[in-house]
Amino acid sequence: MALATATALAATLAACASSDSDSGSSSGDGTVSGEVSLLTPIFEGSTGKELLEGTLLPEFYEMYPDVKVNIDYSSYSKLNTKLTTSVASGLVPDVMLMGVGWIENFAKNGVLADLSSLGLTEEELSATHSSMVVNAGIYDNKVYAVPIMLDARFGVARMDLLEEAGYDHTPTSIEELREMAKALTVRDASGTMTRAGFDLQSNDSRQVFETFLFSGGGDLFNEDITAPAFNSEAGVEALQLMSDLVLVDKVEDVGYSSTDATVNPLINGRAAMGLAHNNLWTQTLEADPEMLDNLEPFLIPGDDPSMFFGGTLATMSSKSKNPEAAQALLEFLTSAGPALAANEQRGNIPALDELLTSDYVTNNRFVQFAMENLDVAKHEGGPAEWLEIRGNFTPAIESALLGQTDAKSALDDLAATSLATMDSN
Amino acid sequence: MVAPGALWLGFWVALPVVATFILSMTDYNVFNAPKFIGLDNYIHVWNDPVFHKATWNTVVYTFWTVPVSMAIAVVIAVALNQKLRAQSWYRAAFFLPQVTATVAIAMVWLWIYNPQQGLLNNALAIVGIPGHAWLESTDTALWAVSLVGVWQGIGMKMLIYIAALQNVDEALYEAASIDGASTVRKFWSITLPMLKPATFFVFVISIIGAFQVFDQVYVLTDGGPANSTTMMTYEVYRSAFQNFKMGLACAQSVFLFAFLLVMTVISRRMTKGDES
Repeated sequence: MALATATALAATLAACASSDSDSGSSSGDGTVSGEVSLLTPIFEGSTGKELLEGTLLPEFYEMYPDVKVNIDYSSYSKLNTKLTTSVASGLVPDVMLMGVGWIENFAKNGVLADLSSLGLTEEELSATHSSMVVNAGIYDNKVYAVPIMLDARFGVARMDLLEEAGYDHTPTSIEELREMAKALTVRDASGTMTRAGFDLQSNDSRQVFETFLFSGGGDLFNEDITAPAFNSEAGVEALQLMSDLVLVDKVEDVGYSSTDATVNPLINGRAAMGLAHNNLWTQTLEADPEMLDNLEPFLIPGDDPSMFFGGTLATMSSKSKNPEAAQALLEFLTSAGPALAANEQRGNIPALDELLTSDYVTNNRFVQFAMENLDVAKHEGGPAEWLEIRGNFTPAIESALLGQTDAKSALDDLAATSLATMDSN
Repeated sequence: MVAPGALWLGFWVALPVVATFILSMTDYNVFNAPKFIGLDNYIHVWNDPVFHKATWNTVVYTFWTVPVSMAIAVVIAVALNQKLRAQSWYRAAFFLPQVTATVAIAMVWLWIYNPQQGLLNNALAIVGIPGHAWLESTDTALWAVSLVGVWQGIGMKMLIYIAALQNVDEALYEAASIDGASTVRKFWSITLPMLKPATFFVFVISIIGAFQVFDQVYVLTDGGPANSTTMMTYEVYRSAFQNFKMGLACAQSVFLFAFLLVMTVISRRMTKGDES
């Protein structure tokens, strides 16, 4: 099945490949040659590098012995800078793996190859992937990216700690979440926090806000993506809830945890509940497998219980000198085998439907939970200016969390800036 | 003889400077060709509250780190100019932060400032002082970043002062000793005045260095929380590489350049009278 999907995608792309390649060559018998560059944030670190260079690329070279791949590794935090400098210098990588919400800007500005013109349709992708995920790679009704993996944010509770406090279920309403979080918060005699009732800080503050926003029934932008909608009543309530948890309920002190924390506080019991990335399952499996039984995922309750999802998609440069080799690499990386290996390595959710029955997925309860709730999941992005807009979220959210401004003012100011950005382009 | 130098200067200095001025008057987002928009970017910078905040943060950082690190450096330089056992070792130890990558230094300071496992809070706990989230609080983040700047900047300043101290005529000290001057009196009346040219040089390069602070902010705080540690250079980086506004980033760079020029002229004026 996996092979069939990979072959189908390969066939679709290869059959419709551009024929006016100047330096890349096709031998005409199905083989391709040439040198291509790959910019990737998902094989970062020694384990990822070993997987890509030690396992995956040798498989690729067996299929395409005349193609040479030059790899540029990057973290997600530096990916934007890498892409900007590569575009400015005119050295855009042939194949780029980028995040959900990024496609629009690079597609609008002509950096990405239109895969629709190569014959890859939205319908075809939706036959093998969840349509919600496929949507993240569509801009202006054209396909610009093929999804490889998803990553979700949802609530996770330490049931052993909840049971100690007399709770046998995860929160079913925002009021209950606040009550439980307060009851589960522990401080020592000097008032120093030893356990957070609800951990907000181990994830990016923008993504935490978005998860609460979506669960409260809100959206980032209006339906036709012409104006911000995150300062709606649902948005203000979401940010108010975040600041209330910190400033009023005091269920987590500022600085108690961070996105750089070596061990997630849910694993070592420094938090009883929190918002978590689905790879918490893999982290726990490595750190303390016995703890897995105690971790229970849940949707943040609200008017419209939902979760946030992001992901990584494979794109091609519109100006690749070796488009056939680039296509071959793109199709390889998005095919079942490499995609499963990449997802396993990062503890993420495979985008290909056929991988959802793999051992990796069936043995990972968080991935299962995310898949079961994908129909209510929402992703960030929308306007082509999203990469610029999103940079302003963190200071605005932080100023509300630190009590420097109220939630409504913070979001209204952010919305005004965002609208100006959208209107200026 | 002059041609290679002039060529080098023209290509690597003059050309980028001219390009920056030209691009600062364009709308350039990397993807499309620059479009001339006159002074719009400058007007935007002038009215931008985040850039105002970044400018203020940079000024505070500069006015805190420069005098403090200069004062510490001159004291250390005078101490290490004496005949001490293991003098070279001490000099190397104080100079070491200068030659260590700022990113590596910032990683160590991240651990020092860590609210839970950090050295600073653990040390404070020993004497019964409650810990603090140094980098996560808007009250302390800028000071915490500045302290790293002070610590890292001492080495180079110390080295310049030591070199200057070695040129001070010993006869001055001998004459002062005969007149019965104390060590403190000699320091104020001989050492400091004789160090004036070095002080001017250290002052100017320190201001320029402080206004260009970037990497420790990038690693330690990412400009946060709530822009409380966003510096001018960090805002230039954000405009250029996160927001794709190269023209705006160039205009911000011109503001930064103007700031540095004014500061240098002021410091030059301040010391000119003394030199005469």
